[in-house]
Amino acid sequence: MTKFLAVIKREYLIRVRTKMFFVMIILGPVIIVLFTVVPALIAQIKVGTTRIAIIDQTESSSMYGRVRDSILSKVNDEGEETGESEAARAVNSNAMTRAANTERARETSFQVEPVQPGGRSLDDVSRELNERIKRDELDGYIILPPDILQDGEVKYYGRNVGDVFTRDQIKDRISRAVRDQRMENEKINPALIEKINKPVNMSAINTESGRQESGGGFFFVFIVGFLVYIMIIMYGQVILGAVVEEKETRIAEMLFSSIRSFPLMLGKLIGVSLVALTQFAIWALAFVAFALYGVGMLSERGMNISLPPIPPIFFLYFFLFFILGYFIYATVYALVGSMVTTTQEGGQVAMPVLFMLIIGFYFAFPVIRSPNSPLAFWVSMFPFFSPITMLVRIVTQTPPVWQIALSLTIGFATVVLLMWLAARIYRIGMLMYGKRATIPEVMRWIKQA
Amino acid sequence: MNENESTLKLTNVTKRYDEFTAVNNLSLRVRPGRIFGLIGPNGAGKTTTIRMIVNITAPDEGAIELFGQQMTPELQDRIGYLPEERGLYKKMKVADQLRFFAELKNFKGERVNDAINYWLDRMGLMEWKFKKSSELSKGMQQKVQFIAAVLHNPDLMILDEPSSGLDPVAQELLRDVVLELKAKGKTIIFSTHQMEMAERLCDDICMINRSQKVLDGSLREVKHSFGRNAVALRIEGGSDGVLEDRSLVAKVERNSDEIEALLTEGADAQELLKRLIASGATVNRFELVEPSLNDIFIAKVEESQ
Repeated sequence: MTKFLAVIKREYLIRVRTKMFFVMIILGPVIIVLFTVVPALIAQIKVGTTRIAIIDQTESSSMYGRVRDSILSKVNDEGEETGESEAARAVNSNAMTRAANTERARETSFQVEPVQPGGRSLDDVSRELNERIKRDELDGYIILPPDILQDGEVKYYGRNVGDVFTRDQIKDRISRAVRDQRMENEKINPALIEKINKPVNMSAINTESGRQESGGGFFFVFIVGFLVYIMIIMYGQVILGAVVEEKETRIAEMLFSSIRSFPLMLGKLIGVSLVALTQFAIWALAFVAFALYGVGMLSERGMNISLPPIPPIFFLYFFLFFILGYFIYATVYALVGSMVTTTQEGGQVAMPVLFMLIIGFYFAFPVIRSPNSPLAFWVSMFPFFSPITMLVRIVTQTPPVWQIALSLTIGFATVVLLMWLAARIYRIGMLMYGKRATIPEVMRWIKQA
Repeated sequence: MNENESTLKLTNVTKRYDEFTAVNNLSLRVRPGRIFGLIGPNGAGKTTTIRMIVNITAPDEGAIELFGQQMTPELQDRIGYLPEERGLYKKMKVADQLRFFAELKNFKGERVNDAINYWLDRMGLMEWKFKKSSELSKGMQQKVQFIAAVLHNPDLMILDEPSSGLDPVAQELLRDVVLELKAKGKTIIFSTHQMEMAERLCDDICMINRSQKVLDGSLREVKHSFGRNAVALRIEGGSDGVLEDRSLVAKVERNSDEIEALLTEGADAQELLKRLIASGATVNRFELVEPSLNDIFIAKVEESQ
């Protein structure tokens, strides 16, 4: 027991005493804050003007004026003025739509000019415009076909057609011009249509907390998933490094003559987990401080961030699922570390493990959207995903307790199995120098007692 | 101490790795308070033997008895082991590192600090106490590793190639320390392929080659049983083919100004001297030499093949 504690103590102290640990403690919340503030700041960056020429092939170029006005107008497609509120919206919305909102919020301004064919063929005109694009006098041009009001296809030629946001914006705005023209032709008042189309207002209220959801909840879910994901990767790498160090420096043999391999490996895993938990404890305090002071400060500056109410039980769940995820992945990293000869090689061998974690992180998104779907259920039972997916479910819509308990049971059973496996490989792998263990070799070690 | 008492006893120990037999039916006995040399070329099975003694791996067959008992994890704490493949934590301070290794041997409390100070002072490393081991030279690191093996005051010390990488001064220091430990009644197992080192230090030896024991016993016995059948010669003038007479001289080795003549079995050294003088040569030196461990080893290996 003394020996086991000595290993834990060493692993913990050697890491907590480093400068890097303090840097990470400070950097962590900074990164989280950046995650919330930076999109809002990016939203305010103005992007340069897009210069577009329009070739109007309709009868007596009747569409040009309307299309030009529509493209140049600042009114966006939901009929709202783009303004400062967009920034706050971008912050609070869920991560997936955030990018789109941010893009929409930036004021892509346009410059529009008509092209007079003057009796030349379309090919000639196109050639000339292509030349101008090459000389950077123009960013793109649009051809409005004669039958645009029926079902004619508009063509957009541009240097950067991959910029889907600008492309969609142009498409939407031409559509609006065409729609207005059609309505006018049918003698319908566009203002009336707008009034008819006005969407209803809806607010979402969580049935459990009774609180209004502003989208901040989703943001919180994202942060939780991201935090677990990034911390497991980080501390998994720490374990890999620690195991490879003992192998590389040949300390393993000295250690094995004093302590059995299993308590050594377990002590190492626990020692490093305590480092992570220390970091979390400090961050939790920082989060509380941010909730108490930071939110108020930001709202004074016009950015309304609503932090969701976090029930205390959530901290317990977070602790349990983080520990679960950590021990699953860190055990695999320890196993890999004992098989390889350098950290670099370990990184390569551990790649499939990392992919598992990344997949688990991506599953968080469909789970956020429908936390009670069969998919959400199964991915939150699978032990390599559940540390992220089950936590996400708990935050979005807490599943029945038996599901949480089952997920934890499966998870910790997996940990026990992995440790049993890892201990066998570790014991022999640590004393093998000079070359990476092959899969058949590893299989043999597992079979040997 | 009882003559039959033994610190360590291996009985018919065999260890196999898949098809390869690393140690084959090895029996040996290490007596208390003596320096025991486990010698043999690289790959002979020395390290595997030691790993079984310190309980890193278990033998497939045979028994290992330590201090008269079956091996247990508790007995591990009474052993100090300096492996051939050894290292230190690069980013840990020397004193912290030593304290950690001591704790792993259940050696704790105030006596740890005393022991650390004693040994750092003895090995001339006091000023490096609070330095990280990555700042130490390779030789200094070796000394720290040595301290890590002796710090907890073990009754049995196992040193695997302890002097490799040490300069002559440090080697001398190591030799002194080992003799000091012996004087305190500690038992020391010395594993090396450097025969000269073993010859200078060991009381008893066990030679292994290709997983098998080829010879064991006290150094004196071993040498005695080999007899004095080599002659160191320095002669001037013609020897009229005396040295080429295979009924007298089996082998001749010419060094810079000396000749080492290995006598044919049953041949008499006096006869050789007479013949040389009779041939008109001036004999400046004629000395019967003890076979070196190296000679014995080579002879034994050749014999076993």
